[in-house]
Amino acid sequence: MNILVCLKQILDPEIPARDFRVDTVKREADRGSASLVTNIFCENALETALQLRERTGSARITVLSYGPPSAEDSLRKALAMKADAAALVLNDGNQNPDPFTTARVLAAAIRKIGTFDLIMVGREAGDWGAGQTGGLIAEELGMPCVSFVDRIESNDGQLKLNRQTDTGWEVLEASPPIVVSVTNDEHNLPRIPKVRDVMMSYRQPLTNLSLDDLGIDAHEARAGNSYYQVAELSIPQKETHCEFVTGDTLDQKVGSLAQRIIEVTSAM
Amino acid sequence: MNPADATRQIYWNISHIWVMYLLLLPTVAIAGYGIYRQFARWRRGLPAARFDRPAKRVQLLVKHAFAQRRTARNRYAGLFHRLVTYGFIVLTIATTIVALDADFGTTIMRGNFYLYFQSFVVDIFGALVMVGIGMAATRRYLMRPKQLVYTNEATLILAVIFLMCLQGFLIEGWRIAATNDPWGAWSPFGNAVARGSLQLMSVEAIRGAHGGVWWSHVVLSFGFIAWVPYTKMMHVITAPLNIYTANLVPLGATLRSIDFEKAESFGVNSFEDFTWKDLLDLDACTECGRCTSVCPANIVGKELSPRDIILQLRDLMHEELRISDFGFRIDKPKDKIRYETSGSNSDKSAIRNPQSAIIAAVPATSPLSLWQCTTCAACMQACPVFIEQMPKIVDMRRHLVMEEADFPDSMQEAILSLERRGHPFSGTQSTRIDWTEGLNIRQVSETDDAEVLLWVGCGGALIERNQRVTRATAQLLEQAGVKFAIMGREEKCSGDPARRIGNEFLFETLAKENVANLNKHHVKKVVTACPHCFNTFKNEYPQYGGRFEVFHHSEYLADLVSEGRLKSHTGSDKKITFHDPCYLGRQNGVYDAPRELVQISTKESVVEMERSRKKSFCCGGGGGMSFVEEPPDKRVNQERAREVLESGADVLAVGCPFCMTMMEDGINARKGEREVKVMDVSELLWEAAQPRAAETFVTTPG
Repeated sequence: MNILVCLKQILDPEIPARDFRVDTVKREADRGSASLVTNIFCENALETALQLRERTGSARITVLSYGPPSAEDSLRKALAMKADAAALVLNDGNQNPDPFTTARVLAAAIRKIGTFDLIMVGREAGDWGAGQTGGLIAEELGMPCVSFVDRIESNDGQLKLNRQTDTGWEVLEASPPIVVSVTNDEHNLPRIPKVRDVMMSYRQPLTNLSLDDLGIDAHEARAGNSYYQVAELSIPQKETHCEFVTGDTLDQKVGSLAQRIIEVTSAM
Repeated sequence: MNPADATRQIYWNISHIWVMYLLLLPTVAIAGYGIYRQFARWRRGLPAARFDRPAKRVQLLVKHAFAQRRTARNRYAGLFHRLVTYGFIVLTIATTIVALDADFGTTIMRGNFYLYFQSFVVDIFGALVMVGIGMAATRRYLMRPKQLVYTNEATLILAVIFLMCLQGFLIEGWRIAATNDPWGAWSPFGNAVARGSLQLMSVEAIRGAHGGVWWSHVVLSFGFIAWVPYTKMMHVITAPLNIYTANLVPLGATLRSIDFEKAESFGVNSFEDFTWKDLLDLDACTECGRCTSVCPANIVGKELSPRDIILQLRDLMHEELRISDFGFRIDKPKDKIRYETSGSNSDKSAIRNPQSAIIAAVPATSPLSLWQCTTCAACMQACPVFIEQMPKIVDMRRHLVMEEADFPDSMQEAILSLERRGHPFSGTQSTRIDWTEGLNIRQVSETDDAEVLLWVGCGGALIERNQRVTRATAQLLEQAGVKFAIMGREEKCSGDPARRIGNEFLFETLAKENVANLNKHHVKKVVTACPHCFNTFKNEYPQYGGRFEVFHHSEYLADLVSEGRLKSHTGSDKKITFHDPCYLGRQNGVYDAPRELVQISTKESVVEMERSRKKSFCCGGGGGMSFVEEPPDKRVNQERAREVLESGADVLAVGCPFCMTMMEDGINARKGEREVKVMDVSELLWEAAQPRAAETFVTTPG
């Protein structure tokens, strides 16, 4: 089985809230002192792929990222976790591509680097949290897509997918090729790579692709034939108002409290 | 009777003396082979430079092999061990003199020397050996301390030594009796045997018995000599050797670094991964059990036992590293398993190469045990023969972390956070400079006239309780007029937790990054309130090109006090005890400075706990253990908290952010018993340095 896992490098979502700044003009997050990490759901996807490979015994895992040169670190770490091959599409200065652009680029890269039975993405990224890329890649490639998967089993080439829903799990069967977006679960916590493998990962080959290689016009990708744009970006200000509800009896107090709750929430 | 002619006949009553020389051949051959085999085994280890500074090493040898200063820390055991050692030394000298006179024609055994030394002194020391053996047997079979290893070998050794001495006195006494030796009275014990025997036996019978016992003495003594290299008695050779080749650096500097470019394996999971000194360590162990008896993890009932690690690895080594008669290596037969491994110990963390694996090959090296070590080095401090237990534990951890990526989840989280954010406290909402709020603290990047860098450390910057300590320290420096600066956001973990957990690669990365950064800012002097950073800066950064003058804040503040730049106005009347941080006290020998600060902040004298200074008991937080949730009934910090409460102190003074957290938790868990406040020494000084009473005490930021 040929598996492809898409990885996104993002700003460390764990930086202290008071250190987090946004650039309201450029409408993006300030890097500040934050480090760059692999998006956790992408790592869950990779871990799920690694476990699937361990169970089937014979799968090849390729990791792919669309991002700045620093995204190489995320791919190297994936290689250290024992992915077999890695490819990076450089984003050519387009720091914050929208999901449509991302999906288009990734789909083009996927078509270019091989044929895959299973394409896995994280359910959403910890920076913008759009959660669109998986579905849009499926659309681009003309494949079916299953979202919020936390476990995959393979049976004679047929896939059994565990899908989280609001009320429980759905178990689906699917035939490859298919796109799957992965969510987190206690079973797919990303493994810690061995230090030896971390060191070795820097000696492994890594395919670098440019938008040109994929036949995508860089200018167009940057300008974005976007279906959506960020109109405004700001950090919500926390405000606290305190109001005492009055009444002579307990019933009156409860009544006016309920009344206020209705008023306030309906105004939101 | 001229005392100048006093002597005795050698080999009196003995014929066919050539038989003795014949017996000497197998004795020397067997003993020699036993010794050769051990040396051959040690040579299988990696290189280690342990022959530099010979003068210092000889000094160590005199102090600890001859004077046995560490052995004597246990007064009873120290006494009998010295009796036996010194007795043996005297008896060996005497026997050598007999051999010289008999075989080389010298006449040393004459006159006063014969009377005073060869008769009187030797007689007394022979008796003292027997007294020593008696005391040892009393301890082993009546007092039965838990720390000893109860083997038949140990029993046999005591019995043989006792019997050899007894034979000696019989031989001597019967010779005196049968020859009516005019100088017999110079050997008081031999003489007593002589007089007693004459009451009971005829001279003929004495003559006959003398011959028999003389030969049995030869056989027993030669047998003992041949047997020594195969027993723990080998320590008569290995202990001095091990002391001579001890690591001369402070305990905090004993971890070895790894050459990642060249190393075939990271960490240790086979005997060949150890250095020759590590292997010698295993054979030097005398089974005294002092390491385990001071191990905090062991004391609170955990599985870790440094003694068992050494002894079980020793047995495993003897089995695995077999040297044939011709010095060729024979690999260990795989089916031999000496120890039952308990369920909790067997897991996947073993065994890349089962043939030579040592982790989990014996129960003592189970990952469960290895992950209980706080790296406090109490074991190393206690060992009379300078065995290095803790670095071996870290070596094996390195294998688990770097080769297997198999270590406790909470430690993984700390390591991951170190990799990503340069601090081990995953999930903290503090920043490196939150504590500076309201203070006018300069960063190195903003100033070039700072005389000293205040290295805050992750604990001091990111843990709220310790931020107050950092504020107190900074304010004291300011009050004393010290021009200081901080690294601010450029600061990263010193790497201590990464190194002690076993991720040497991450430690090296952090160390190189920090050193480069500090050198970039031309930092020369560093003050820190964290003993772990202190130790790393002082003992480990020089290797990466970081040469700084490093002070623990207690040292620097104590200097400011003695220079008169800081004054104590209001000593409280609180009883204060001080808990020595392992990485400040035991591992770097700083005991007095923090006590000076405590002393000037109270009118009472400093209360000492039973375990203090060198013998201090870990808070439980070192070696990455502060990131691990301990089982509720086996917590090191609670054992220490018990001691704090028993000391009668109102305030526990600490000098380490990890101790602060661990001891506050430990004391809170025993809150019902008595209120004890935990304060850093700088907070005590700050409080005392205020003109008015304690109410002006430092407040938390914001």
